[in-house]
Amino acid sequence: MTGTLAFQLAIAGVSVGSIYALVALAIVIPFKASGVLNFGQGEVVTAGAYLALVLTTLALPYPLVVVVVFVLGALGGVLIERVLIRPIVSAPEFTIVIATFAIGLLIKGAISLRFGDSPVSIDGPFGMVPIEFANLRVNPTSAWILVCTAAVTLAIIAFFKYTRMGKAMRAVSINAEAAQLMGIRVSSVYRWAWGISTAIGAFAGLLVAPVIGINPEIGSLILRGLVAAVIGGFTSVTGAVIGGLAVGLIETYSGVLIGSAVKNLVPFLLLLLLLVFRPYGLFGAAEIKRV
Amino acid sequence: MKRVRALVWTAIAALLPSAALAQEQGVSADTITIGAFGPITGPAAYIGLGGRDGMNLAVKEVNAAGGINGRKLVIVFEDDAHSPTRALAAVKKLFEQDKVFAVMSVGGSNATVGAVDYVKERGQVMYVSIASAPQVTWPFSRNLFRGGTTEAARYGELYAEYLATNAKTKRIAIMSGREEYPRNEGDATVAKLKSWFDIAPVARVEFNINDKDFTGQLVEVQKSNPDIVAFFGNPAEASIAMRQAKELGIKQPFFVGSNMVDPSLIAAARSNAEGVTGFSLIPLLPGSQLPDMVKWEGAWRKEYPNAPAGRPNNFDLLAYGDAHVMAEALRRAGKDLTTDSLIRALEAIQNYRVGPVATPRTFSTKHHVGNLTLVPMMVKNGAWEPLPWNSTRESDILKRYQ
Repeated sequence: MTGTLAFQLAIAGVSVGSIYALVALAIVIPFKASGVLNFGQGEVVTAGAYLALVLTTLALPYPLVVVVVFVLGALGGVLIERVLIRPIVSAPEFTIVIATFAIGLLIKGAISLRFGDSPVSIDGPFGMVPIEFANLRVNPTSAWILVCTAAVTLAIIAFFKYTRMGKAMRAVSINAEAAQLMGIRVSSVYRWAWGISTAIGAFAGLLVAPVIGINPEIGSLILRGLVAAVIGGFTSVTGAVIGGLAVGLIETYSGVLIGSAVKNLVPFLLLLLLLVFRPYGLFGAAEIKRV
Repeated sequence: MKRVRALVWTAIAALLPSAALAQEQGVSADTITIGAFGPITGPAAYIGLGGRDGMNLAVKEVNAAGGINGRKLVIVFEDDAHSPTRALAAVKKLFEQDKVFAVMSVGGSNATVGAVDYVKERGQVMYVSIASAPQVTWPFSRNLFRGGTTEAARYGELYAEYLATNAKTKRIAIMSGREEYPRNEGDATVAKLKSWFDIAPVARVEFNINDKDFTGQLVEVQKSNPDIVAFFGNPAEASIAMRQAKELGIKQPFFVGSNMVDPSLIAAARSNAEGVTGFSLIPLLPGSQLPDMVKWEGAWRKEYPNAPAGRPNNFDLLAYGDAHVMAEALRRAGKDLTTDSLIRALEAIQNYRVGPVATPRTFSTKHHVGNLTLVPMMVKNGAWEPLPWNSTRESDILKRYQ
C-alpha cells in the first residue's frame, strides 16, 4: 500500500467515522442523562434526512435548513420523551428499550408511507466535486461532516462542563434521587437530554443525506453507532466520537487489507475483543456503589 | 339386502357434498383468487411496492372490463421482506390457508428462489414477474413461468455482447452485490464474456446489500485499471459507489444492471448518473413524455393519487404487463378453469402484450421464459434515453430447451 493510498483511505475512514460518531453521540447523551438506550435513534437520523429533503425542495438557504432541522429535531425528542417515555419511566429497563425500538419502527413506517422506498438524494452545501491536493481527494461534504462533528462534540463537552443544565444532567446521571433532593428538576433534565440527542440525530441525517443518500433504511447506521458508543465507553462523549472514528477507520482499512467480504464483521470482532480486556470501553468506568 | 342398500345410499349422501365442491381451489362461480408476494418492507421494498401496485392496477382494469369469463379477479398479497424463508412461508399460506388458484411473484430473485421447490412439488402455477434467478425456468418445470424479468443468463448474453462490441471494452471490472439477483447478473456476464469473447474481468468484487461505503472495493477496481465498471446491485448502493468512485479519481464510466435502469438511480445518484449505461426490461420508462407512457401514468396516478416520489417505477410497469398476460391466459383457459387448462393457455401465448408500455411475452410447451427483449439505454441530461444498438447474436438460452 502506497502512502497516498493510505492517506486516501484515512480520509475515507474518518469521513464515514464522523457519521458513526454523530450517531453514537446521539445515543450516549440520553443514556448518560436518563439511563435510556434509544434504539429509535437510527430512525431519528432518517427523519432528519427526509426533513432536509423537504426543506431543500422548498429552496430554503442552507443555514436556515440547519436551524430548522435542529429545532424540529429537538422538539421531536421533547415530544417523544413527554408523551411516550415519561409514562413508562418506572417500567423495567427492557420495556423502555422495546418502547424506543417501537418508536423507531413507527417513524420508519410513517416515512415509508409518506415518501415511499425509492432512494433519493440532495446536494451537499459545498457541492460534491472533490477538492484535490497533493494527490489526495477530499469530498467537501465529508470535510463538512468532520467539522460539524468536531463542533458538536466541543459544544456538548462545554454544555456538560459549564452550563447549569449540563451539570444538572451529570448529577442526575450519577444519582437521580439525590439530584432531585438537591432541587434539580429531573423531568426537565430528561426533556433536555432527549431534545439534545434527537436534535443531534436529526442534524446527522441532514449531514449524511448528500453522502449516503436518503431512503427509509439509513437508520441501520444505529448498529455502527452502538458499536462506537460501546467502544468509547457508553457514558463518555469523547469516547463516543473516538469510537465512531475508530469504527470508520477499521472498516475502511479492513476492507482493503482483508477483503470486502469481512469488513462488516471486523468492527464487531474487535468490539468483542476489546470488551474482554476493557469491559467498560476505552473511556468508560465501572460504577462505584457504596455498600 | 336392505342393509346393503342403506349403506350404499349413506355413502352416496356422504360423497355428494364433496363432489359438488370438487372444483379447482381458488375458483368459484364468480371469482378467481390469485395469490401474490413481494417485498413491501425492507431495503427491497421499492421492488415489491411497485410490483403490487402495478399488478393491482391491471387487475382493476380487467375487472372493470367485465372480469374473466364472468369471474372477477381477486388478489391476496403477502409481504416476503425479500427473504427466501419468508417467501416460502408466504406461498404456503397463500396455497394452504388462502386457497388461491395460482400465485404471482413480484418478489425479486432473492426471495422467489425460496418458494420454487415447494411450488414445483405442489403443481399449481407460479408466474414470476420479477425474478431472474435461473431456477425458476431451468430445469424446466411445467407449472412455473417467467414473465418480465428475463433469465439471468440472458442478461449475461446482452451485457457481454454490448460491452465487448458496442462499448469496445476489453478491461471490465465487475462490482456485484452478494444476494441472488446481482450475483447472478455478475456471474452470467462473466460467463458470457468468457465463452463468447474470451474476455475475463480485470476485477470482480462483491458487497453487501445496504453497504454505505465502497472504498475497499473501489480501490481494488482502480488498481485493475478497467475501461468500464459494471455495477450490479441496487440504486441506493450504486449512488454511493459512483460518488466515491469520483472521489477516488475513477473516471471510467459505469454500466448498471437492469433493475437500476430506472428513474430512481438518477434521483439517488444525481449528476453522478450522467453517462451511465444499462439495459431496460421495458420499452418506455416512467417519466417519458411519449403519449403511451403519459396515458398510462395518468391512469396510474388516478389510482394512486398520494403516491410518493419515485413512483411509478419500472416494477409497476413490469407487474402491470405480466398481470395482463396472466389475465389473458386465464381468459383463454375458458370457463372450466383448471391448473392444466391455465398451463396450456399460457403455453399458447405468442408475442402478447397489453400495449406499448410492455414488452411482448412468448411461451411454448418447451420453455417458459416469456421475455428475451431488453433495450439499451444511457443517462443523458438527467434522463434515460434509448441507445441505437441491437443484438446480433442468437441467444443460447432457448437452445437448451430443445
